[in-house]
Amino acid sequence: MKFRSYLFSLLALVLVLTLSLAIGSVFLSPSELWAALTGHGSQTSSAILWSIRLPRTVLIALTGMALSGSGAAYQGLFRNPLADPFLIGVASGAGLGAVIAMSVKWPYSFWGLMAIPMSAFAAALITVFIVYSLARVGKTIPTTNLILAGVAFSSFATSLTSFLMLRSTGEVRRALGWLLGGASQSGWTAILAIAPYLFIGLGILIFSGHAMNLLQFGDDQAQQLGLNVTRTKTILLISSSLATAAAVAFSGIIGFVGLIVPHVMRLWWGADYRRLIPLSIISGGTALLLSDVIARVILAPQEIPVGIVTALAGAPFFLWVLRRAKNQGYW
Amino acid sequence: MLRKIFVLTLLATLLLAGCGPASPSTPTTAPVSTVAPATEVSTVAPTPIILTDGLGREVKLDAPAQRVVSLAPSNTEILFSIGAGRQVVGRDEFSDFPEQAKGLASIGGSMGQYSTEAIVALKPDLVLAAEINTPELVKQLEDLGLKVYYLKNPKTIEEMYGNLEIVGQLTGHDVTDLISSLKARVAAVDEKIATVTEKPMVFYEIDATDASKPYTYGPNTFGDLLITRAGGTNIGGALKDPYPQISLEQIVTSNPSIIVLGDSLYGINPDSVKARSGWASIEAVKNGNIFPFDDNLVSRPGPRLVDGLEQLAKLFHPELFK
Repeated sequence: MKFRSYLFSLLALVLVLTLSLAIGSVFLSPSELWAALTGHGSQTSSAILWSIRLPRTVLIALTGMALSGSGAAYQGLFRNPLADPFLIGVASGAGLGAVIAMSVKWPYSFWGLMAIPMSAFAAALITVFIVYSLARVGKTIPTTNLILAGVAFSSFATSLTSFLMLRSTGEVRRALGWLLGGASQSGWTAILAIAPYLFIGLGILIFSGHAMNLLQFGDDQAQQLGLNVTRTKTILLISSSLATAAAVAFSGIIGFVGLIVPHVMRLWWGADYRRLIPLSIISGGTALLLSDVIARVILAPQEIPVGIVTALAGAPFFLWVLRRAKNQGYW
Repeated sequence: MLRKIFVLTLLATLLLAGCGPASPSTPTTAPVSTVAPATEVSTVAPTPIILTDGLGREVKLDAPAQRVVSLAPSNTEILFSIGAGRQVVGRDEFSDFPEQAKGLASIGGSMGQYSTEAIVALKPDLVLAAEINTPELVKQLEDLGLKVYYLKNPKTIEEMYGNLEIVGQLTGHDVTDLISSLKARVAAVDEKIATVTEKPMVFYEIDATDASKPYTYGPNTFGDLLITRAGGTNIGGALKDPYPQISLEQIVTSNPSIIVLGDSLYGINPDSVKARSGWASIEAVKNGNIFPFDDNLVSRPGPRLVDGLEQLAKLFHPELFK
């Protein structure tokens, strides 16, 4: 059946969304949950469900979608199975921006609190722009140059971030918490702030499936098949970087989701990018939500940063999927 | 098969059909009784407490807080020391003093992650945050309708008394006696130390996982302040950062006569220090003046700073405290 993959993925997402609303560090029984959902719940359970769990669920789902979608796009763009959304420096740039912003004592106001996500976002985009400019050769953007420039700049930004953290006085804890990933800003403000970038970025990616399939043949072949390779690459880079930067600005650096989820989708449903991108987006939300549920519950009331759970849980899961498919050449 | 999937999807969609944006919940404050028992004299409603916290926010309480959640170990210590222990309903993961605090519900806090769900479930009428908590966390709790007071870190012992007064006001406790006794203890130490002519060189070890570059207290920290006030000279005070790594060469050159092990709670003892290569020439190692110490007494900005001062003074000048 043609839409079986979408159906399964959407079903999994809905299931995990429900799970994320139902589970947390405070136990709410099904009857309490139902009461809170329909508006008859006690003040505490309503507050927990509507003001804490729902915005957090939506934010985490959106973040997972952004990271996965751009991960799939990067893998298609660079034709490299190790590509993840942080390949050309978005994460390290955002981290540097955030840590620099944290060393200033912003006033306690709406804009004061937005300062850190905004500088993380700006720094991420500036980093991509610098890497892009460094990698450009005349009118083309060779992918090898992009990777090399990205890795070099990432290392630079990361070491600068570490240095700043060492010299800072009280902000190390805050910086570390941010870098490890997790929904640090809750509430609808964060969601409203990143939604436009996600819509634009992921929207463009969803409709770029055909172009990405062509790119798999190599730059020259794709050019001969009629694709404007440089323009396509630029558009893909911009849209995935927008989505990633927005996701990272509020949720910190959550690794692994962008790398592993597209691979799992490829193993299960094939490497057609017209289908792979939307499926990665949907399943990215599912995967990150599931990790977040685990992060909330495993050591309750303590909450582990999501980035740790994605790595710990994602790696074995991926190896298991890989083993099952090892006889097929899926890449 | 298809039908089953279809029905399941429909059910799941119905489940989430009630989704809508949340309206902020308002906190319930303890209701003031309007029916006065016959034997009681009619009292005036308690005056509201209005204070400006460390973030510049105005915090208004109608009555002293009866259900406090503490987000930092220093706050927990302050609350219990002023006699508000029974008004504390929740504390962070690291609050371990006094012993009664361990029995309270934990709301997280390791790696900077607090469980806002657990905080909300405790229905607090005041959340006491410290500088170790981020402004983002304060905003989160504010958005959930909770009253948060952000207690700024004191820079001196005298400023710490000010914090005791603030928390006393918030919880309805008179702290003048506590402050007087603390002041008296500090004055006693100051008096004795004023007679001192020789201040020993002290090395305070925070962490020596890398024994060639251990962490110590630099300037503008309570560790440095208390060591100096207790009649010692902190060799870390000459460095620039507040929590710098000092090289072993620098330690050997300064040749401290006393080593204070702030990492003794992590299993470091004088013998492990003597066994370190390159440390044998240091005077403190030669004459065995290596002392384990509870780092919490100088790192938590609460009343136990006075304990820390007294203990350090006794270590540096035992002859004055016989």
